[in-house]
Amino acid sequence: MENEEPRIGVFVCECGVNIGGYVDTQAVADYALTLPNVVYTKVNKFTCADSGQAEIQIGIKEHNLNRVIVAACTPRTHEPTFRACCKEAGVNPYQFEFVNIRDQCSWIHMWDREGATAKAKDLVRMGIARSMLLEPLEESSVPVDQNVMVIGAGVAGMQAAIDFGDMGYNVYLVEKEPSIGGRMARFDKVFPTNDCSICILGPKMVEVGRNKNINIMAYSEVTDVEGFVGNFEVTVLHKPRYLDTDICTGCAACQEVCPVEVPSEFNENFGTRKAIYIPFPQAVPLRAVLDMENCISCKACEKACEAGAIRYDQEPIYEKLKVGVITVAVGMDAFDPLPHNNYGYGIYDNVITTMEFERLLNAAGPTGGHVVRPSDAVEPITVGFINCVGSRDVNENIYCSGGVCCMFSIKNAQLLKEKRPETNHFVFYMDIRATMRGFEEAYNRARDLGVKFIRGKPVEITEKENGNLIVRTEDTLKGEIVNVEVDLLVLGTGLVPNQGVRDMGSILKLPRSTDNFLTELHPKLAPVDTTTDGVFVAGCAAGPRDVAYSTAHGSAAAGRATRLLSVGSAPIMGITARINEDACVVCGICVDKCPYGVFEIIGTNGDRHVNVVEALCKGCGTCVTACPTGALEQSHFKSDQVLAQVKNVFLYGGE
Amino acid sequence: MAETTATGTTSEEWQPKIVMFCCNWCSYGGADSAGMGRFQQPPTVRVIRVMCSGRMDPVFILNAFLEGADGVLFSGCHIGDCHYVNGNYKATIKYKFLKAMVNELGIEDERLKLDWISASEGERYAQVVTEFTEQIKKAGPSPLKPEGVV
Amino acid sequence: MDIGDCYVGWATDEDIRTRGASGGLVTAMLAAALEKGLVEAVVVLKKLGEFEAVPVVTSDPEEVKAAAGSMHSVPIVLSRYLEYGTKVALPAKPCDARSTIEQAKRGQVDIDTTYIVGLNCGGTMHPAGTRDMLDVMYKLDPNDIEGEEIDKGKLIFETKDGKEHAIKIDELEEEGYGRRESCQYCAVNIPTMADIACGNWGVIGDLAGKGTFVEINTTKGIAILENAINAGAVEITPADDKGKAIRAKVDGAMMKVAAAANEKYLSPIEGSHLDYYMNALANCINCGACKTVCPVCACGETAKCTEFSSASDTYKMSLFHLVRFVHLMDSCIGCGQCTDVCPVDIPLTHIYRRFAEPMQEEFEYKPGMDMTTPPFFGVDLIEEGH
Repeated sequence: MENEEPRIGVFVCECGVNIGGYVDTQAVADYALTLPNVVYTKVNKFTCADSGQAEIQIGIKEHNLNRVIVAACTPRTHEPTFRACCKEAGVNPYQFEFVNIRDQCSWIHMWDREGATAKAKDLVRMGIARSMLLEPLEESSVPVDQNVMVIGAGVAGMQAAIDFGDMGYNVYLVEKEPSIGGRMARFDKVFPTNDCSICILGPKMVEVGRNKNINIMAYSEVTDVEGFVGNFEVTVLHKPRYLDTDICTGCAACQEVCPVEVPSEFNENFGTRKAIYIPFPQAVPLRAVLDMENCISCKACEKACEAGAIRYDQEPIYEKLKVGVITVAVGMDAFDPLPHNNYGYGIYDNVITTMEFERLLNAAGPTGGHVVRPSDAVEPITVGFINCVGSRDVNENIYCSGGVCCMFSIKNAQLLKEKRPETNHFVFYMDIRATMRGFEEAYNRARDLGVKFIRGKPVEITEKENGNLIVRTEDTLKGEIVNVEVDLLVLGTGLVPNQGVRDMGSILKLPRSTDNFLTELHPKLAPVDTTTDGVFVAGCAAGPRDVAYSTAHGSAAAGRATRLLSVGSAPIMGITARINEDACVVCGICVDKCPYGVFEIIGTNGDRHVNVVEALCKGCGTCVTACPTGALEQSHFKSDQVLAQVKNVFLYGGE
Repeated sequence: MAETTATGTTSEEWQPKIVMFCCNWCSYGGADSAGMGRFQQPPTVRVIRVMCSGRMDPVFILNAFLEGADGVLFSGCHIGDCHYVNGNYKATIKYKFLKAMVNELGIEDERLKLDWISASEGERYAQVVTEFTEQIKKAGPSPLKPEGVV
Repeated sequence: MDIGDCYVGWATDEDIRTRGASGGLVTAMLAAALEKGLVEAVVVLKKLGEFEAVPVVTSDPEEVKAAAGSMHSVPIVLSRYLEYGTKVALPAKPCDARSTIEQAKRGQVDIDTTYIVGLNCGGTMHPAGTRDMLDVMYKLDPNDIEGEEIDKGKLIFETKDGKEHAIKIDELEEEGYGRRESCQYCAVNIPTMADIACGNWGVIGDLAGKGTFVEINTTKGIAILENAINAGAVEITPADDKGKAIRAKVDGAMMKVAAAANEKYLSPIEGSHLDYYMNALANCINCGACKTVCPVCACGETAKCTEFSSASDTYKMSLFHLVRFVHLMDSCIGCGQCTDVCPVDIPLTHIYRRFAEPMQEEFEYKPGMDMTTPPFFGVDLIEEGH
């Protein structure tokens, strides 16, 4: 097939009037027939319709075509259709060439029929020249290991793990904190229904713990990933808890005797925990962890531990695991207002963040559910909430945190108002984004309760001697400047990418968007896939979202990944990098340029050569451009194929 | 008087030929969006699709000029949005070299342009094409264009 | 012995000391490296005639001792002579050292097994040009020449009858003779990028003419010198401050001369750049000799510059050169070889420098001075440190 004289068929689509109305399609087809190796042309009303595809297949059979060109719309949507059509009729799908005369001609030169037609002829000529050089390619596949890794055990990761586990796949659920549960475990209630967060999350955590297909690896981190779709080798660091988790019963006797008190991360540093501690009462696994940095080696815990679980000499353990697919659900951070002292945070005692407020509100929190202000531990009467802190702000992050902060403020004002009706609440907002199901109702409920909403971005916060704060803002609905005195001010901080997102971005070679969250393969049509085959993303790692969305995302990621697991093999694209060993001088430039680690230099001295791991290649072609010798080529985008297009943009001395 | 070129274009004035390289994910998508949105633009540009702006080899661009391109545009995803981690960033390095070279060669350096266009920026795509075309029209036919080439 | 130390040294062997230049330290050091197994091979220059030498790889210490340098040599592409990873030592002018380092960046030379013994250089002359110069300027028969040296800005030839014939270099270069054009504007005289830098500048007093000034630049430099001392082949004494100052002064003076030459030769093109380059390259016959000799190019027979261009192209400019301009903009070390070999006398080095100079300045990248990746092949733009 490779050495066959090209016999090219050109099919020009009218796309109804979309193309036919603005381009002389028959003239394009007639012109194509004058070009070398073109043996058949046809104008179709709709090439992509069944009838149009049938015309291609008939053309292939009757004229013994071995190259097909469709001049129609965009390869970004219709290339798979025509490739499949060609394949059915015996033409290699990679010897099909798509010429876009709709988005490139008819739609953008609607009032220049001649210009559009002339350009369409040029584009078809370029396509034909390229098509002559196209080589038949076979798509290969690799087997998929049946083990699964989920990185991050917040609500999205837990949901993914449960779904994988329930479908019968063995799951490694890696969590950097000592317990699974993630952010949601720290919330008091969740909007819009105001369920007790841990009351609904707790059972889910227990479900994860009980699922015999899920191996929880808490207090562990992924440090390296090698391999490719279906065949990843993941290095997991198990951080030492300084106790034998098989023996520890989670009785908390150690925590009681420990004399060291340090700020509690779980409680947003309000209140304290011990140096050896149970992360929180509902923790899974329910095991203690010793924070060696703060340990004073008094060994009180060792004496108190009846089970004899304490191991002061524990070392970090690195474990290598083979998995077929990876789901990244590493979550996010709340925006930190401390570095820029937004709205006086860090300067004025009584300015706190939403997450801090959550813990104060929580019955199991540091104040037993009494919201008090930090300066004097008095329960506030008037509370202000500022939305969009660190979001929708050109100085911090321009994006909206998905309405999450709006809803947090609405919910928290409502909860405190319900708890203590004597309190007053002001929410300072730019726009209320209550877009999901039940959100608008929650917003109305808060207003009905008497929460005041002031549309304006506060410009200045000043502190009075008694610790109260004056919030100065324009009420943009009234068009006047207002000064509101509050006892406590809560900042509705936005969501930002965390260190896990950055680490996973570099370890798994996942691109990050301008907002620095991970980028999905497609924001709409592939929202949990990533550009790395076999790696999926769930939850806030790919952008701010709420609990319901994150949970759905977790299930979606598991579902997408299961396609590969259940089939047991993953396709490898045909447009990968290939090397011509004879021309390669082993300069190693490609090794540095490739973001996916496709190339490695192996062998010593005279035997040195570049090994190409095709399965890792995503087909960007950057290496080909970098290769000084031309030893590297990208299949289907070979330099001579591209140059054929370049040369055929132009005509020497007319036709 | 209208003149008719070999491919049948009728135009009142000289129409440059511009070769444009687009990455599959962003700028080619931007071209599609321009089509979807019917953003009109002069028919001067011939787009060649590659997977990533990182694939845009100086050889392609130099060859385009030697073949007769009056201008060369190349475009990819905005920095930070590359589908292949940082291919566009690597493209900017090549661009720096090409730009300096074209400059030293004495080809007006406005004949070569790199611009980032995302898949959603159809209107901007049309704007980039229109503005670049105007720029090239002002500069006139490329001095590297071989005799008799259209 | 530490990096940065400076010494004056000489061969202990009487014969080497008297035959070799400046006390024969380099020859003794190279021979000792072979004898003691520090390296498996040494590259030496074998004289073809008074004005020409070719690089030869040898494992025989006697051959090393027998060889003598020539100021007419040009950089070599080590990888064409030796398998990657071979433990080798080579005497190297700054351009030799720089090209070797550029080859190491391109995976052609294992920098860890290559001992670069740098030699100070004030410039070299083309063999053919030298013969012409002897004929026109000195009125001498090239076959009568027995030796040559540069002293106090004069180029001196010794004839077999024992007479010396001196002409000022400035005068020679004014007439278009003397050092290669590329050597005239080369500002790298002391090979600081080599493992060890050797030369006669800064050798003063009793040792003048009998010792070699050495500066240690790397741990490999320490290794090769200590090896020679331990083998009893070389003796050294710390260089005194006066010597160091004199060496720096000579270097500074040479750099000033180079800067002036740079300004003279690479002054801005007047008129149309395009016409200038089209005219300059019009005679190119696509023979590819310039690519073959280029000591920083790592490509074999197949290369992008040749692969996509053809002699039958009817372009207004050569795609071959355009591609090479881009590829060498950051890496050209200005060694002058392409000009030397061009059969149609295109001043290629001069042209390539015009493209390279602004780029190397912009990136603050000096090729061959250390192992920094060339910006064109780099992954990051250096200035933004992305």
